[in-house]
Amino acid sequence: MAKDMTLLWGSGSPPCWRIMIALEEKNLQGYNQKQLYFEKGEHKSKEVMEINPRGQLPAFKCGDKIINESCGVCFFLESKYKSQGTKLIPDCDAEQALMFQRVFEVNTFGDKMGNVIYYNWKVPEGERHDSAIKRNKEALTAEVKLWEGYLQKTSGGFLAGKNFSLADVIVFPAIAYLYRFGLSEERYPKLTEYYKNLMNRPSIKATWPPTWKETPGQDILKDI
Amino acid sequence: MAKLMSLLWGAGSPPCWRVMITLEEKKLQGYKRKLLSFEKGEHKSQEVLEVNPRGQLPAFKHGDIILNESCATCLYLENQFKSQGIKLIPDSADDQAAMYQHMMEGLALTDKLNSVIYYDCSVPEEERHDFAVKRNKEALTAELKLWEGYLENVAAGSYLAGAFSLADVIVFPSIACAFRFGLSVGRYPKLAKYYSLLKNRASIKTTWPPHWVASPQGYDILKDL
Repeated sequence: MAKDMTLLWGSGSPPCWRIMIALEEKNLQGYNQKQLYFEKGEHKSKEVMEINPRGQLPAFKCGDKIINESCGVCFFLESKYKSQGTKLIPDCDAEQALMFQRVFEVNTFGDKMGNVIYYNWKVPEGERHDSAIKRNKEALTAEVKLWEGYLQKTSGGFLAGKNFSLADVIVFPAIAYLYRFGLSEERYPKLTEYYKNLMNRPSIKATWPPTWKETPGQDILKDI
Repeated sequence: MAKLMSLLWGAGSPPCWRVMITLEEKKLQGYKRKLLSFEKGEHKSQEVLEVNPRGQLPAFKHGDIILNESCATCLYLENQFKSQGIKLIPDSADDQAAMYQHMMEGLALTDKLNSVIYYDCSVPEEERHDFAVKRNKEALTAELKLWEGYLENVAAGSYLAGAFSLADVIVFPSIACAFRFGLSVGRYPKLAKYYSLLKNRASIKTTWPPHWVASPQGYDILKDL
């Protein structure tokens, strides 16, 4: 049950947020949780390392089972709690396939976003190049356009069609991250419509990153 | 079934290999397939772009359904064909925990391997730095040591999540790549044991990269890791 689960998480981190959305959708509120702060290096603390030797968040335990990969946790929760809460894996073959496809596209999406937003954090000063910054921005722009296109082509309002699914659980936090960092609402109307629709979904509203409510966003992505 | 499936693939690519292993395990031989050449840029051809706008391989179709992310394809196939071939996802959710964890971690392993093996392909000459090469090698070494630890008790029938599962389908191809590119068997004995136990598994032997068979001598980029 929820009381056997523990989640160590950081505010705003899409992988952490995915798990929290999934737990809400499966009616698993009441899990043990602790918010940690990346800025204070708490993701490298002993408490985290004992669960996740990679020193990353999320770190998740269900009984004595440990899963630290957010997509892994989401699939695990849907499997174990199939019969409660929202059904997150569609029955229809085509929708199910599209759900799987979009879920695994999130990795490259997240990478490209990170390469722009966290360039200076990832790349030591002596190794930074304007040509790389430009290329990273172009890659992210192409990626965002791809997702805008996906939402144009898929009817139903959700990423896999007409039902909210694991694709939305897993990808929405990354899309929300784009807007937090200044993505233009006008330039990507379908993405914006999706973002605004889902931000009011109870599981998403309940788990909105607390630090996002307390502080303004940034505009690093305004030219994307 | 298999006749409605088609796969565009490239030799030696772990993501392509994962899909081919799964198709074998699920007894879906007989699917249409076409081998394309990365060196000739065929992954960016019109034929691929029509299935995969990202211009990447694998590009997989089942009737009208398109799946281009290898993990997505493997999960889809296991779900759709649960009752045939080998069971690749354990029945109980609790047994699935280790499988899902290692499956997803497998993607980090592949990334770190690529960042070393394909450094020169992905980084333009004027942006290359010795420090970055060193850092990538250190990250890959740490990653490989983690997997060496996961396989502490590896034995026949006892792999990444117990019985052979999607975790092994996803991860084995990258481990095989690591040895192809010179990883030391002596320094990573558990990984080497895992590799030698599984390389003769039917689905893996049948789908072994053809050019690796043709020229068994690999490279030595990873020999010092």
